[in-house]
Amino acid sequence: MKKRTLAVVLAMAMVFGTACSGGGGQTSTEAPATEAAKDTEAAKTETEAAAETEAEAPVAADTEITEPVTIKFANYALLEAGYDVYWNQLLDEFAAANPNISVELVTAPYGEIVNTVVNMAGGGDKVDLMYGELDWIPGLVEAGLAAPVADILSSELMSDIYPNILDACSIDGIAYGVPMYVSPFLLYYNKDLFEKAGLDPEAPPTTYDEMLEMAPKLAALTTDDGNKVYAFGLTTASVPVSGACLTSSVHNFGGTVLDADGNLAIDDGFREAVAMWKKLYEEGYNPENSKLKDLRNLFALGQLAMYYDQSWGYNGVSSINEDAQNYIASAPPLKGGSGDGASVLQAGTLMVMDNGDDLRKAATAKLVDYIMSEEKISQYFEEVTPAYPSRQSMEDLDVVKNSSILAGAAGSVGNVKPVTFIPTLSDLNLEICTLAQAVTLSGKDVDTAIAEFETAAENVINQ
Amino acid sequence: MEKKTRVRKIHMTARERNDRIFAGALLLPSVLITVIFILVPVVDSVLKSFLDYKVKNIISGVPGTWNHFANYIKLFNSGKLGMAIVHTLIFVVGVVVAQFLLGMALALILNSNVRFTRFIRSIMMAPWVVPTIISGLIWMWMYQPQYGFLKFLIQQVTGGMVTDFAMLNNPATAMLGIAIAALWKQIPLTTLLLLSGLANVSEDLLEAATIDGANSVGRFFHITIPSIMSVIKITVSMSIIENFKQFPLFWTMTGGGPDNATTTLAILSYREAFVSNNLGSGAAVTTIWMLLMIVVVFVYNRIFKNVEMD
Amino acid sequence: MGAKGKRILSAVFRYLVLAVILIFLMFPLYWVLMTSFKTNMEAYRFPPTMVPEAPTVDSYISLFTVDNFFFIYYKNNFIVSGVTALVTLVLAVMSGYALSRFKIGWNKWIVAALLSAQMFPIVSRMISLYGLLGKIHLINTRTGLIFALIAAMLPFAVTLMSSFFDGIPRELEEAAIVDGAGRIQTLFCIIMPLVKPGMVAVGIYSFLMTWDDYLHAVTLIQNDNLRTLSAGVALRYLGELSYDWSKVNTISVVGILPIMILFFAFQKHMVKGLVAGAVKG
Repeated sequence: MKKRTLAVVLAMAMVFGTACSGGGGQTSTEAPATEAAKDTEAAKTETEAAAETEAEAPVAADTEITEPVTIKFANYALLEAGYDVYWNQLLDEFAAANPNISVELVTAPYGEIVNTVVNMAGGGDKVDLMYGELDWIPGLVEAGLAAPVADILSSELMSDIYPNILDACSIDGIAYGVPMYVSPFLLYYNKDLFEKAGLDPEAPPTTYDEMLEMAPKLAALTTDDGNKVYAFGLTTASVPVSGACLTSSVHNFGGTVLDADGNLAIDDGFREAVAMWKKLYEEGYNPENSKLKDLRNLFALGQLAMYYDQSWGYNGVSSINEDAQNYIASAPPLKGGSGDGASVLQAGTLMVMDNGDDLRKAATAKLVDYIMSEEKISQYFEEVTPAYPSRQSMEDLDVVKNSSILAGAAGSVGNVKPVTFIPTLSDLNLEICTLAQAVTLSGKDVDTAIAEFETAAENVINQ
Repeated sequence: MEKKTRVRKIHMTARERNDRIFAGALLLPSVLITVIFILVPVVDSVLKSFLDYKVKNIISGVPGTWNHFANYIKLFNSGKLGMAIVHTLIFVVGVVVAQFLLGMALALILNSNVRFTRFIRSIMMAPWVVPTIISGLIWMWMYQPQYGFLKFLIQQVTGGMVTDFAMLNNPATAMLGIAIAALWKQIPLTTLLLLSGLANVSEDLLEAATIDGANSVGRFFHITIPSIMSVIKITVSMSIIENFKQFPLFWTMTGGGPDNATTTLAILSYREAFVSNNLGSGAAVTTIWMLLMIVVVFVYNRIFKNVEMD
Repeated sequence: MGAKGKRILSAVFRYLVLAVILIFLMFPLYWVLMTSFKTNMEAYRFPPTMVPEAPTVDSYISLFTVDNFFFIYYKNNFIVSGVTALVTLVLAVMSGYALSRFKIGWNKWIVAALLSAQMFPIVSRMISLYGLLGKIHLINTRTGLIFALIAAMLPFAVTLMSSFFDGIPRELEEAAIVDGAGRIQTLFCIIMPLVKPGMVAVGIYSFLMTWDDYLHAVTLIQNDNLRTLSAGVALRYLGELSYDWSKVNTISVVGILPIMILFFAFQKHMVKGLVAGAVKG
């Protein structure tokens, strides 16, 4: 008995004691901290200046690498079935061609890899290259990790990337990532279900209104097992990528979430979109609280007629049901209200980090060049999943042109509205998911939910 | 037992000094490891809760700066903290009470003369050894909204009235869903411990009470419960601590959703620290979390202290 | 109603409650086992089939042939949990003995520190721990993970162990010392054999609890070749692409099996020890 009470007291003493001493202890650290901050700032401008003076490719990618060097590559896809084979093969080939470069892999699940990379850096161990979502850039820049790609990668590669795609990776005009491939959130639909519902499988809806007209016919269908068919899938579960997809739907309506300065800018388009999410739920068209993978799953089983996804969601669908390729087709994102159906760009992006070692930078640039080569990218599109190339020189890639899966959505990659990169973008995305859950699962009305969202989002933005 | 040691002699005998050295040497490794790997990091995180301390501070090696309780102020103002505290308390109280009642029911039944007690006792422990992550997966599969077993069961039980029951997708039931998974894993140990207490209740006392005319309910409350009070106390306090700290089940099953319905202090701290990369703010949540836990355990010990004195 | 009727009624009620609770505890395991023998297409059928219509071991085969990294996690977990349990046991025996036998002023502080250490949430110490292990170059190593886990296990293990030593009469040591045995010899040769049940309990308990660890492994290990089971399973099979529920269920079965076997093999000691230790402590 005594022992336990004592334990509680001791624990309390620790927490309170340190709390009180915290105040005194910290004031002293303030001065050196600001100084240090100044130092790093000075260092930053110095390196920027240096980069400017040697404007010619900072580290030429074609430098012979004669000494052995090890670089670290963080890549969640190595753990994902459907992607691991491709990446392992690529790395094996690269190792065979570049015996002096060894690539050490850092892996973590999709949802944890940013933390992993950040934690490693906190322990003094930075990776050189990271593969991931476009939306991870602002967080990594804020953490002081992602470096301007122009400092490290070959100028040949940089100049070949579509300027608007590079813009989408930029903060204040500096690009921090190079997309391997891109895609908007496009509409995938099931041609067989369209036919079964008496709709023209070659004429998918182009606006939300058209979609709502078709939806009842699709929702009336059942699968052969007698299971319910959902008409329209829009991901709302709490993962950052769902927030990006919901933002895309706001853009469909001509709305905005953030203005160019990164301030909250809720407008009519935003409200219309939220009202649509509510309607989709109330009509029972949208599988509730689903992640993209849940939607892929339902789509693969013929239980979902239409849904929004990145083009590479196809890989998830076909890994469950190979026959899906026979009925899957794509279409541009729907137009809503006064909007023109603009979408959000998604990209499998390569981000580089500066370890201050020229040899490592050169080796990293070499690996990126290899990953971005026409041969490897075509192979990716062919074997892994269809998507759109980010390099101008690959504009006419046969595998993209002939892709029956992408044909329907052709051109939509040009109709994307940039997302303002704020450091807490991932958190804001989660708040958007919470908003979607509030109007659907919790049954709150649109205005109340948006008001709640505003408070939460302001808090996130102004951290 | 402590009286004796408190009577200090001015000079220690050689034997006592040797005892101290020997005991100290035996204790040193454990104490060192506990201090270095638990207590120091905890103190460090409390300190950080008063700082503007983000991931970039770690990476650039710049120490955090004192920010006049901004982390705490922001948490209180955002309204999330209160919500997370309420969710945490609901979860802890709900699971601890349900666990105790179900565990006690099962223990009482197994302690009476039902058949196959030995066998049941043995197999019932199975859920306890299932790793938490896997138990989360198991229940996610049971709850799966389209083809889950529970959806099927509810549909049968309600005669087809409820056809799309999705436990974890409904803000009203998501917490219950996680609580069930937690109970599933924890009931066996509770039962086991309570059962061991019941086995030691004196038969003579029970018989005497029966002769005095006490019925079974009276015997239970006047003889059985007081006799196993110390076991109950330990069992419940283990359960309080375990559920207060619960993180993996929430993280894998709902991640705090839907509509924040399962955002507990554990989820909030993880999200602040590791999703928003604001370590100072995350540390502020864990500090409040620890304080709350200390208060609860303290109050709990108080209540039980009085009970034991009777 | 006569006394007999009442007795029957109460028996029926008891068996009913027993059945409900047991079904609650056992059915999910049955369900997982059944699903692991279904094809994905059958697993996704609704209403579900109670017994696989076309039982298949495809998931198992593919787990054993294609997903061989699963066994890397497995092996790592055995190494990490095994070493952690062993070291924890040794340290717990030493400290538990000291706390039980030598009534020294610092004891209550040490016990208080250990008990309070049990209460702190893991998240609260993760970042500092990371920096710390980074400094001593133990990040991303099994050794570092093992140290962190030993620290997490020690508080409970020490208190448990010390309650076992409390149950051993002091006269035994006195006699041994009179016979001229040294302190260490007394501890290891005379006392330790007497607390064997307690040692089994502490060892198995530590093993079980570290087998359950998720947060430590996820935070402290980035190299896939060093990951343990929970972390590995969570990241491989809760991936962003899609669920493969047959595989997930198969993995659950294979992940539970060894620990289940271990537990049931030592159940007698384990249960006795745990109950005695926890309840007395």
